[in-house]
Amino acid sequence: MKEKDLYVDFKPQQLIYYVEKDDASYGPVVSGSYLSKHYLDDFIGKRNKQELALREQLKKGEISPIYYYLVMQEYGEKDLASRAGVSVRKLKQHCKMENFVKMPLKVLKKYAEAFDIPLVNFFHLLIAKQESTGKFSIQHLETDNPYFVVTKIDEAKK
Amino acid sequence: MKEIDFKHKMAAHCETGTVTSLLNHKGLDITEPMVFGLSSGIFFGYFESSNFPFPTFIVRNKPGSIRTNISKRLGVKFYTKKFRSDKEGEGTLNELILKDIPTAVQVDFYYMDYMPDYQRVHINVHFVNIIGMNDSSYLISDSYFPKKSELKKTTMQKARFAGGYMEPKGFLFYPEYIPEEIDFEKAIIKAIKKNAFYMLKLPVPFVGIKGMRKFARKVTDWPNIARDVDHLSHEIMRINILLEDQGTGGAGFRYLYATFLQQAADIVKDDGLKDMSKRMMEIGDNWRNISYFAAKIGKNRDLGPERLKELSEMINARADEEYKFFNDLNKLVK
Repeated sequence: MKEKDLYVDFKPQQLIYYVEKDDASYGPVVSGSYLSKHYLDDFIGKRNKQELALREQLKKGEISPIYYYLVMQEYGEKDLASRAGVSVRKLKQHCKMENFVKMPLKVLKKYAEAFDIPLVNFFHLLIAKQESTGKFSIQHLETDNPYFVVTKIDEAKK
Repeated sequence: MKEIDFKHKMAAHCETGTVTSLLNHKGLDITEPMVFGLSSGIFFGYFESSNFPFPTFIVRNKPGSIRTNISKRLGVKFYTKKFRSDKEGEGTLNELILKDIPTAVQVDFYYMDYMPDYQRVHINVHFVNIIGMNDSSYLISDSYFPKKSELKKTTMQKARFAGGYMEPKGFLFYPEYIPEEIDFEKAIIKAIKKNAFYMLKLPVPFVGIKGMRKFARKVTDWPNIARDVDHLSHEIMRINILLEDQGTGGAGFRYLYATFLQQAADIVKDDGLKDMSKRMMEIGDNWRNISYFAAKIGKNRDLGPERLKELSEMINARADEEYKFFNDLNKLVK
């Protein structure tokens, strides 16, 4: 690819490409991501749509929070099962609400670590409309007790 | 913040980037494409495994083998260590930083919170260089990010000790010894031969050229395994990500390999390699056409059987081209 055919103006995601330069040598140049520049809205739109659909299923008890995060974080089943210390068969069971409620807290904690979320997020959904406007921030602060967090809602730093 | 005097620079790929920067820091003048080519980095593999949420493909050799192959070919010795205990892993890393040794670590990419949210996925084979620290944070040189970044030590611990597929176990490395004399010519020929073997002759039905053909066959079945049309669109558009955006230098490492061949031609003094480098650049352009095509049909949800057949034929055409290319390359270096 020729250098002049490459350049994409997209500052949030810069990449290194190897291209043919004017003197016919090949070498690195920095450019924005073509895909993100042109298709990021589509990606985010699909993701939001999927999240809303999963939330509805979660509210109806059709899926468990484990399935919700499994899909949203694009985990492979075997990878997640290994991180949670369970078999793939068990993981599939945990994706259903009727089995989720029987899960030992220790195992649930392992899942929370794999998803990098506080345990409490398996049991509630906090919707804060103004969060995106930057007026306040929500932080889950870890404590010495690994099963307990302090949720802090604060005015956003200016 | 304690900071080691280390030149941060972006690179096409995280592993070639960290290895190249560390070798440069240690005094070896070597480029990223040369590191990639010498480690026989170009590859293709199509995978259907429950380790991944959907069938996927890779376009480079196994994670970790950039370093191991560079070590074999150039005689560079790396200090490497994995850890059973995260405390020990943290302690060793901190000691190395205090001794002014920039150190590469293997991490789960998801935790690199300086990257945009939409890019962050769980993948245990990201590599970054640690080049400084204070009580609470590390200073990171990540080839994918334009600037040096800070990451909380607690977050780095999670990233280094994430479990799962190809778990890092706190793995770290840095070059300990670089030979004074390196026979680059010999190393280049050996690396090219090995790469041709990987692409043409590995007796595994889903790697090399056979892997491309499998991908071409299987992609037309993807509608049967996707949850819905949006999911299918997402996975088809991921073809573009895997070829262009996930640290490949463009066109699934084909441009990087073309650059290696051009540099190799000068070292080996063989114009034949220069011609091969031009051919590889053209092959890269054709892969890039696949990237654009996948992004377009994915965005338009134009994912009917005819369109996927078209995509499949484009992939098969690349397999034909690369079959001929690697056979010719193999003959040239024999």
